[in-house]
Formats: sequence, structure tokens, C-alpha cells
Amino acid sequence: MSTDDSSTDSLLEAFIYETSSLLDQLDEIMLDSEKQKSLSEDNINEIFRIMHTTKGSAAMMGFNEISNLAHSVEDVFFLIREDPSRLNLVFDTLFDLIFQSSDFLRQEIESIQNNGSDYSPSDPTDLINKLEAQAAVMKGQAPEKAKSPDSEKPDAPEAAAKPEGDKKEAVPPEDTTQIRVFFADDSQMENIRAFMLMTQLKDHCDFIDSDPPHPETDSSLCDSIIKNGFIITVKPSYSLDDVIKVIEASSSIKSYEVLGSSSGNTKKEEKAAAASAGKPAAPAASSAKKAKKPGSSSGHGALQSLISVNQSKLDHLMDLVGELVTAESMVASNKDLAGLKLDNFTKSFRELRKLTDELQDVVMSIRMVPLTGNFQKMNRIVRDMSKKLNKKVDLVTIGGETEVDKTISDALTDPLMHMIRNSMDHAIETPEERVALGKPETGKITLSARNVGGEILIDVKDDGRGLDTDGIMAKAKKNDILTKPESEYTEKEIFHLIMLPGFSTNDNVTEYSGRGVGMDVVRKNVENVGGNISIHSEKNKGTTFTMKIPLTLAIMDVMDISLGKTTFSIPITSIKQSFKLTDDSKIMHNTDGSDMIMLRGECYPIIRLYEYFNIPTQVTDLKDGIVIQVESGSDVACIFADELLGEQQVVVKPFPPFFNKYNLKNSGLSGCTILGNGSISLILDIRNLLSSER
Amino acid sequence: MEENTTQAILQASDDLSNRFLTFGIDGAVYGISLTNVLEIIGIQDITAVPNVPQHIKGLINLRGKVVPVIDTRLKMGKEERDYDSLTCIIVIDIQDMHIGLIVDRVEEVISIDLEHAAVPPKAGMEDKQFLSSVVERDNHTVLNIDLEKFMADDLRQY
Repeated sequence: MSTDDSSTDSLLEAFIYETSSLLDQLDEIMLDSEKQKSLSEDNINEIFRIMHTTKGSAAMMGFNEISNLAHSVEDVFFLIREDPSRLNLVFDTLFDLIFQSSDFLRQEIESIQNNGSDYSPSDPTDLINKLEAQAAVMKGQAPEKAKSPDSEKPDAPEAAAKPEGDKKEAVPPEDTTQIRVFFADDSQMENIRAFMLMTQLKDHCDFIDSDPPHPETDSSLCDSIIKNGFIITVKPSYSLDDVIKVIEASSSIKSYEVLGSSSGNTKKEEKAAAASAGKPAAPAASSAKKAKKPGSSSGHGALQSLISVNQSKLDHLMDLVGELVTAESMVASNKDLAGLKLDNFTKSFRELRKLTDELQDVVMSIRMVPLTGNFQKMNRIVRDMSKKLNKKVDLVTIGGETEVDKTISDALTDPLMHMIRNSMDHAIETPEERVALGKPETGKITLSARNVGGEILIDVKDDGRGLDTDGIMAKAKKNDILTKPESEYTEKEIFHLIMLPGFSTNDNVTEYSGRGVGMDVVRKNVENVGGNISIHSEKNKGTTFTMKIPLTLAIMDVMDISLGKTTFSIPITSIKQSFKLTDDSKIMHNTDGSDMIMLRGECYPIIRLYEYFNIPTQVTDLKDGIVIQVESGSDVACIFADELLGEQQVVVKPFPPFFNKYNLKNSGLSGCTILGNGSISLILDIRNLLSSER
Repeated sequence: MEENTTQAILQASDDLSNRFLTFGIDGAVYGISLTNVLEIIGIQDITAVPNVPQHIKGLINLRGKVVPVIDTRLKMGKEERDYDSLTCIIVIDIQDMHIGLIVDRVEEVISIDLEHAAVPPKAGMEDKQFLSSVVERDNHTVLNIDLEKFMADDLRQY
């Protein structure tokens, strides 16, 4: 019983996974095609395939509603595939319908996922009827061409899949060559051998056809193949010699003869004969299609050779590697080893470290996913919203190939969605307003990601009306979230007010945004993965939200420094150099009590960490401690601390959620880590440290 | 699987709901519901975190998990006092967060019939009132703390 359950579970999981990725694919194709206002033949086939697979697997799992809807969509695309010109009749309505269907399917999948066995299906009849109506329109207005395949359709819908089977069955192109092949006596299953030969030749030919067509479907053809030979009509991709070589290399071929170029006349005749035989032709087509499918999909498999892994396993693996790294540090800095000279041990340990480093890299890279998926979803939102809100908006995505940790990628979906919605709803003006302001009628939202030294920067930029500082101020005052006199707020601080809890500038609550859970949720989500958001806005020019996100949550190289009784860790990537001051000559004292240091002709501020964090220490003279020059982007400064403790690799842990409200990130701490000796070290966030000091 | 755990927790909380862990601060004895208590550990090295209220002492490493600790004395507005061999950290689970409470000494686990427990006086200090009940024992009084109320300031998200 229980084994039964678990096998159904894993089947269900596979179904959910497969169908969701198919639906993602569908959305992508549809969005692209909608932009280009046309559907390419490949795309039509692809959509057909997606719907076909969905239909099949849903039926297998017993989800009839899903299966039925998928079937209707499949029918529609079946009509389109027969005659793409029909598409123009119903383009817009159809696209909306397909999107709605894809939404419906997605919802169902989600509810299956959430409710498991308690899942109660929704009713797709409405959508199915609409789809059928569209199908009728397409059929009705193109009666001439549709008639013959239609009459065949009801009992064998797949039969008419001919065009895919061998697409250019119409008229063979010029420069074809006919080859007659005889198989060895007693080789048996000549029809299958003929088919296999065709398959082998396919790669070497631009065009291929045979007489009899689709030999694999009818074993009664064996006799005629034995008697008359198997005639292949090919148009070689490169040279005829290639083709001949393949034929020669095939087993069980007795002889072959090149018949020379054919005008195609004879062929047509024979084909007509085959068609009049009627029966064999239809199944032939359908199985030709089936035969092609595994072929093409296995081609895919060879290219990608992907497996899908449960994420919790990856998380576990990551945790283990993290523990391994910590354990390794514990061995390296073990008290028992202190002061011993251990040449061999050191050597072996170095080997071990090399391996764990490599292991770490691999595990991290496994978890990296491109942001394309996230960006793709935004396309959809922009499309739907621009229709609803009657705004014209182009979404430009840049750098979707940038990779981030899966956890981060997941955590980003909601914030991105929220920001895009905000931009669509609040920032971008209506076309009329835009024209009046002298802006292009179509608004533009740019979503870009780039990798900047261990961090990912994601910009959400619009060319809308910009943030209204007065409005924000008034609203903030009304909601009583100001912490200092109004006049003391800088523009930047005002912008950041919108990310405080309970703030929402729009009085009208709309379907899309302004539900009071706005930017504060975005900020929280982003901070949860160790990132932060900054806002830049100019009136009537637009607003840019910039999210800075760490590449991975996991492991980094740090330099440990001590300060009083506390240990801090500085990411190695932020450190330019460290040195001990021998005399005061390079130090300059400002009137406000701060110090500066002259290094190679340039002047840098000195941040005394014990003052900055208000931590008691014995080391207050600059000559007694250590000076570390750090940089973040274009900012460079020197940090003064007690002592350097050494370099190591640490597993970054975020602060417990308990500390969320103290905004430690902004005061220059990005997280903490457990050191080899079991104590906790605080990781400095140099960027925030420098910017808050400024 | 998940259902099972929830069920197990439910059952466990049935058994624990009227049991309290008591600890002492100065002369007084306080109790907290055992449902919240994860474990009791001795005092250990605490890493101070800058820019947080004084009663939040910092972070400890609890077998690889980073747990914030609070000095219960300071939280109650009492004088700070050096930690000694009796000082303990009670690790509690509240709103899915693990938090360590530093207390002077841990006393015992007691069963309390809550129906017969006295309601603490309400007079004048509604905001700060964090006691849920008062129970008379043989030779002392136990003041039961409502942790949600006690920690309300710290648990608020902003």
C-alpha cells in the first residue's frame, strides 16, 4: 500500500514538474510570437507537441479536465498547422485564449500540488467552448482547403499529422537522385530495414522520400521491396557520395543502383496509387510521426543530458559541504596541533583542502540557475497588465543569462513581480499623458542583471513619472512613520520611506498593487537573501530600483580580525592591502576628530572600528593596531582594528530573523559565521560600512 | 510525514501544557511553559552584536546554529550582574525563532493546575504586564511569564 502511494507520489511529482516546464515553454513561445505577430512553423509544432504531451500525461494521471482542455488547444493548433494562414483570422482572440488556457492549467497544477489527493478540479468547459468557437471560425472561413483533411479528422485526428512526418511531401525539390536498393536475400523485415536506411540517410539529405512511402508501417510491402527494390529519392546535403557511403555501410544490402535524376512525374503517379489504396496511407502518416518523435527527443537528450533533482537534496548537500568546510577549519586550527612542526600533515591537509575547495565549487555551480526564468515571468505580467490598464509598455530584459543560487532566484520572483507591477500601475503613464509630456507613447521598463564582483545587480528601471517626493512625505506623515523633522529628510531618505512597512502611495487599491503590502515586503524578501535595495528617481524621467544581491548565500574567503573580544571577518574580495603603521607622518587629523591617511599620494578616511561599533578595546593608538585598506566599487577607505588573525573560508550564515528590525545590514554587517574554534565571527559588509560612514 | 510530526508535536504539547520550567532571578522564582523550552545549557561565550538594545547580549553557537541571547535581568529592568557557575541559558522556541534567555539559575520543572492558579494583579501596568498567573508552592511563589507578551517588543518585526 505504502509503496503504491509513494510511486504515485513520484509520478505526480514528475507530472507536475514536467507540465509546469511545458507551460513555461508555452508561455515563452506565445510571448515571442505575439511580439512578432506571427507563429513560425516550428513554434506551431512545438505548441502542438506541448499540448499533446500535457494531454497524454494528464489523462494518464486521471486529470480529465486538464486533459480535455489540452485536447481543445491541441485541436486548434492542429487546424493552424494544416494551414497557418488561418491563424490570421483569429490571432488576438486566440492568443488571449491560449494564455487563459495556460493560466488555467497552471492553476490546476498548483492546486494539485497544494492539495494532493484533496484536489478538486475546476471546470474548463467555458474555455473549451471558446476554443471550439475559434476553431469553427478558422474552419468556416477556410472551407476550400480544410474540407478534405476535415472529413478525415474525426476518427483519426492524428492521421493528418502528415506535414510533420515528412514535411515536404508536396513536390520534391530539384536536383534529386533516385536510388534503388535491394536487400540481401532472407534478410527479412525488409520494410523495417528500408525505414532504418531512410533514418540513417536523413542526416545526409536535405530532402528524402521513398517508394513505397513509409515502408515501416506495412509488412506486406516486404514482397514488393524484395521484388522491385526500395526506391529512395534524395537530395543530398553535400554530395551524393556521402549518401552512397551510408548505403554501402548499411548491413544487409545486396545491391543498389543510382537511377539518376528524376523529374518527379513517376513518383507522383505512384503516390496517387498509394493514396487510392487509402487505408495504408493514413496509418502510415501517423506512425511516421510517432517514429519521428522519439528520434527528435532523443536528439535533445543527447545534447542536454539533464536530470532533475529534488531541491531539498541539493540544500542538504550544500549544508553538508558547509559543515565540511567548518570541520576542516576546526582540524586545521586545532589546539592540539599548536606549535608542532608537521610537514607531512600540512602536505596532506593541503591536498584535502584542494579537494574540498573543488567540491564546494561544484556544489555551488550545481545550484546556480540563470535569471532567464524569472525575467520570462515578468514578460507575461507586463503583457497582461498593459492590456488591462490600457498602457503601452515594452519590457526590455538584459543579462538574463546571469546566474544566481537557486534559493536566491526563487526569493527574487516575488520582489521582481511586485516591482514590475508597481512600475506598470503607478509609474508608467497612460499613452495620452505620455504624448502630452513629449515622451514616446510606449513606455519602457528595463529589467537588467549584471555580475559585479561577487554581487549581482538587478535594475528595474522605468521611464514613467518618477517618485513624487511631496506625496510620499504627506503619506508618511499621515501614517506616522517619520522619525525626525520633515525638513531634515534628504531626497534619498524620502524615497526609502516607501519601503517601510504599511506604506502605499496609491489611494486606489487596484487589482495589481497597492494592497498595503508593497515595497516593504520586497525589501524584506531581498534582505532575507542578504541583499539590499536602493532607489533612484527623477521626476518625469523615471525610477530605477537597484537590488544588490550576493551571488550565493554560502561560502566565502575572509580575513579575520580581532577587535576587543569580538572577531570580525572581512571578505577577501574587499581588501586591497593591510599594513602596520610605524609612525604618524602619514596621518592627518581633521578638526572633527576623524583621521585621514595619505597613501601613495592619495588621501583616505580611517574608520576606527571600535568607535564605529562602540566596542571597548585596549588598542586605540593607530600605531598599535592594524590598518586595512578596503574598497567597494569606487569607495576606498582604511579600517583600523586590533589585530589580523588570519585568512580562512567561512560559511556565511544570515543573522537570525530576530535581528531583522535592527537593520544590521545598513550598519555594515552582512551576517555571521562560525569559526574553526566554535566561536562566532561577524562578517563586515564593506559596501554598507563605507556608505554609512560617508 | 509532515502530518505525523505535527501530530507528534500536538501530542507532546498536550502533555507539556501544564508543566512549567522555573528559574530564579534575584530572590524571585519565575516559570515559563515547558512547551516553549527547547533545552537548557550552561553559560558560554557570547559574541556581542553592535547597534542592538542592551538586553540583547549577542549570539551563541548552539551546535552550529546561531542563536541570539537575551539577558533576562536586563530585559526585566534589573541591574546587570556577572555570570557565575549557576548562570544558565534557557533556549526557547517562540514564533519559530530560537532565542536564549540568560537567567541567574534554573530551579525545577513543576506541574501546575492552571485552573487553580491566581490571576496576577492588573493595576496600573497593563502595558508591561507579562505575567500570566501566580502560583503558590510550599515555601515560595512562582510567577508564570507569558513569553509572547514578555518578548513582544523584541518579536515585533519593525
